[in-house]
Amino acid sequence: MPTLLQAATSQVGRKILTGLTGVFLVLFIIFHLGGNLAIFGEPDAMNRYSMILHDFGPLLWVARIGLLAVFLIHAWIGISIWLKKRKARPENYAVYSSKGGPSKQSLSSRTMAFTGIVLLIFVIFHINTFALGDMETVLIDGRETHDVKALVIDTFSNSAFYAFGYAFTMLLLGAHLGHGVWSAFISLGMSGKKSSAIMYTVGTVIAIVLAVGFLFIPLYIYFGGGCEAALIQCT
Amino acid sequence: MSTMTINLKIWRQKNTEAKGEFQVYKLNDVNEHMSFLEMLDVLNENLIKEGKDPVEFDYDCREGICGSCNLVVNGRAHGPKRLTAVCQLHMRTYSDGDTIVIEPPRAAAFPVIKDLVVDRSAFDRIIEAGGYVSVKTGAAPEANLIPVQEEVANQAFDYATCIGCGACVAACPNSSASLFTASKLAHLNRLPQGKPEREKRTVAMVQQMEAEGFGDCSNYAECEAVCPVGISISSIAEMRKNYLKAIF
Amino acid sequence: MKLDPKVPSGPLETKWSNYLRDVKLVSPNNKRKHKIIVVGTGLAGASAAASLAELGYNVQTFCITDSARRAHSIAAQGGINAAKNYQNDGDSVWRLFYDTIKGGDYRSRESNVYRLAENSNQIIDQAVAQGVPFGRDYGGLLDNRSFGGAQVSRTFYSRGQTGQQLLLGAYQAMMRMVHAGKIESYVRHEMLDLVVIDGKARGIITRDLVDGSINKWEADAVILCTGGYGNVFYLSTNAKNSNVTAAWRCHKRGAAFANPCFVQIHPTCIPVSGDYQSKLTLMSESLRNDGRVWVPRDPEDSRPPNEIPEEDRYYYLEERYPSFGNLVPRDVASRNAKLVTDDGMGVGDSGLAVYLDFRDAIKRDGKDAIKAKYGNLFDMYENITDDNPYEVPMRIFPAVHYTMGGLWVDYNLMSNIPGLFVAGEANFSDHGANRLGASALMQGLSDGYFIIPYTVGDYIAGEELPKVSKDHEAFDEAAKDSQEQLDKLLNVKGDKTVIEFHRELGKIMWDKVGISRSKEGLEQAIEEIRSLREEFWQNVRVPGDANYYNKYLEFAARVADYFELAELMALDALDRDESCGCHLRDEFQTEEGEAIRNDEKYAYVSAWEFLDVNGKLETKLHKEDLNFEFVELKQRSYK
Repeated sequence: MPTLLQAATSQVGRKILTGLTGVFLVLFIIFHLGGNLAIFGEPDAMNRYSMILHDFGPLLWVARIGLLAVFLIHAWIGISIWLKKRKARPENYAVYSSKGGPSKQSLSSRTMAFTGIVLLIFVIFHINTFALGDMETVLIDGRETHDVKALVIDTFSNSAFYAFGYAFTMLLLGAHLGHGVWSAFISLGMSGKKSSAIMYTVGTVIAIVLAVGFLFIPLYIYFGGGCEAALIQCT
Repeated sequence: MSTMTINLKIWRQKNTEAKGEFQVYKLNDVNEHMSFLEMLDVLNENLIKEGKDPVEFDYDCREGICGSCNLVVNGRAHGPKRLTAVCQLHMRTYSDGDTIVIEPPRAAAFPVIKDLVVDRSAFDRIIEAGGYVSVKTGAAPEANLIPVQEEVANQAFDYATCIGCGACVAACPNSSASLFTASKLAHLNRLPQGKPEREKRTVAMVQQMEAEGFGDCSNYAECEAVCPVGISISSIAEMRKNYLKAIF
Repeated sequence: MKLDPKVPSGPLETKWSNYLRDVKLVSPNNKRKHKIIVVGTGLAGASAAASLAELGYNVQTFCITDSARRAHSIAAQGGINAAKNYQNDGDSVWRLFYDTIKGGDYRSRESNVYRLAENSNQIIDQAVAQGVPFGRDYGGLLDNRSFGGAQVSRTFYSRGQTGQQLLLGAYQAMMRMVHAGKIESYVRHEMLDLVVIDGKARGIITRDLVDGSINKWEADAVILCTGGYGNVFYLSTNAKNSNVTAAWRCHKRGAAFANPCFVQIHPTCIPVSGDYQSKLTLMSESLRNDGRVWVPRDPEDSRPPNEIPEEDRYYYLEERYPSFGNLVPRDVASRNAKLVTDDGMGVGDSGLAVYLDFRDAIKRDGKDAIKAKYGNLFDMYENITDDNPYEVPMRIFPAVHYTMGGLWVDYNLMSNIPGLFVAGEANFSDHGANRLGASALMQGLSDGYFIIPYTVGDYIAGEELPKVSKDHEAFDEAAKDSQEQLDKLLNVKGDKTVIEFHRELGKIMWDKVGISRSKEGLEQAIEEIRSLREEFWQNVRVPGDANYYNKYLEFAARVADYFELAELMALDALDRDESCGCHLRDEFQTEEGEAIRNDEKYAYVSAWEFLDVNGKLETKLHKEDLNFEFVELKQRSYK
């Protein structure tokens, strides 16, 4: 029997890890979207949410590092699969086309590497903008905390580049998840034919909901004029 | 009976080391009832008479069961029809004046021997790694001693029906051999006779599959679409489940 | 040449157990000192190789395909017989033996057939243990289906792919031994000659079909499992690469060829559609359970079949054989199809087909019921012919399917060359003049799993087998012969392709050495074969060279052997002045066209010795008399 490390780096092991990290990342993204949607809540809901997270202190750092590790493993395996396929087929077909039927080849599945790499670059930008960016402070319950909400509104209402760039990237996220969510379950051993068919639909729905949820916010802020927008209450 | 003219663009490669290229041929009087391989036979008869080298391609039973033939036709393994090996494809699928591009299955693990003939011995080595039940001749108990649920026996058959043609590898964007490997695992692992070796077998065959230089599986399911006997990628999911069980 | 069948004495039921009691054994230490060559990796070859390797011998296997798994055993559809009596319908070893020997029209050896029936049950056990997914009933136990020539249900099956599943079981057992280091498997290697030293088979010569090299292999015993020679007819249900070359080269080195004229012609195949046709596809004979065979009464009748009224249809099997009707045995159905087409009543563009009509069955049972039974066959038919058999009758015609003849072997499955064993379809041993359905798989596996491992051991234990070297002059000579023949073929540089010659030879064989034969026709055939053979060696065009992969060179060498075999088949048919099993001589039939067997004069195995070939084939006939001690010879009647 192989050691755990050997198993984890085997072809099947890598796939299982991709699925596992993928599921984790999807759960994180759902959680993240929840936080984002707080922008439409009470005036201080978003910043309160941020404050609660910061209250975890060192634990937050553990979570952040863990999340980063999961993300990097997912990206690293994805990129290595993509690199390896060139080695596995040095000479390409002059003509290639899918046979349809049960094939899951689609724009979504064929662009996993591309959308994945764009998302990787995006995340670096994203952390730089919103986690490491200069933030004003604001008082909540008498305590000083970051004014994340102001930063978000400021960024998206003043920059078409940011607003559309984010929105477009979220379309790519949707594309990535369109194949990714179902694929993760297959990678984790879901072998029933019925459950696979159901999961494919569920995956598509999750992909659409997440993509629309995420891209709605920057576009809404941009077109609605920031704090002027009907659904957003600034203090 | 109608005949047609077919334009062929065929991959020609002298040997494994040589660089290959496409050659174009025009074939007149192709009968619609010919099989695809019979059409190539006719081409070869013409080439031999013209003093040229015939096109080499693999075939044997010509009834879709031996798994020898494995041409990639217009970018699809075994051609356009689902659940059909290319030897069972007939020219009535095509129309007068059509151009057909024929390539060998392309994968580093399937080196070209000549023209459209490739070396698929990697598949034998995957089976060799563990694709069997370890029972010596003569050591078998009475056949009806262990009942096997009818449904399980049927599922085992569905996976055991793999003909080993390699279309799954040919069609996979990553050149993965997961469907071939997983179909044998899904056949043997689910039967009571195959259970004792399930974990060892799964790990060994997965290891060999990787050692042969096949790519990773990205769950494209194109393999299932081109498989002439319709083996489901459910087998691949099962392989992963059994692999996990083997590790933990 | 001396032919000693070496049948153990005693009652039929104890011959094999007595043999096993007395068999000479090789000690485990010594087994690993012996090397055994197995040529061909179908059911017989793969099972023999696996079993011998498990015992501890060093085995080398050779096959012409790119993997051992592709041998043509894989295409067998229907099933495998065994005397398990799971159906409680009165089956027994004796009954299986009796049906098989009767089905073979009493032209096989009682002792061999009885042993086959005895081994049948073990085969099922072995296959199930290997994970072969046989059909099962709702309780999870093994299911059976009925098959022609038997009144009991004894056929085990894996849907319509029983051959595939059994072969994969044997192949996997073989690959297990490759993994264990006890088998070296050589694929894409073709045996071109047998090396005989001091009168014993001590090795083979092969051609590596990829790099073209001629190689020598030495061994203590050679086991030939290379299948049948149906492709001598060009069109047959055999795979395109199935061939007689390995067996024929052994014959030319001294092995007797037995009953070459016994060829089974399967009645329900898809007819030929044109000159380009490369092979024939079998449709399971189970179709005759519900389909009615007919032709238009009037040869001039060109109406579409559905417009021909009942009174103008000639249901010839039902009229001629009222009690068996459409379910007469294979040979009778095939012969009658030929008779009606010879009379001009055939249908289709070529006139070489008859209708198999499901109209009445669909009317009686409904389309769904027919679909449930034969759906996959109907789909296959439609895929090939583009006709929908639910709407219009199928067109069918007989096709060459299986060859009962083969190299002569004794009870040990050893040829008359010591050390050369022959198993499976390649030998002549168990099916007499006609093989029953579902018994080819049984024989291949009985030979490979349960006979060869004992008899080869007995041979090795009982013989002086001094080490031989590949440098021995016999190896050099055989290798040189092989190379020279290939060069000779390449150097003819004529105008006609190998396929053209093969097709012409096939036509002679089909017309004159096929379903029915006559003295006159056979004599003509011999003349025609000889002159075509002469033309072949003067006018064949083989492309390319011998130094690399060259499929048409492989074909050329095989066709050269078919030319010689074809003549022997005609000679054998000419010698046999009787009709038996699949061999029908026009001169020996009743007025109603029933076969007249002649047990007085022809209850023998004809074993042909090869003497020389220099344009003319010199052969000598030896006869092994068949003594029937345990069964009474009866005339078959299906009226």
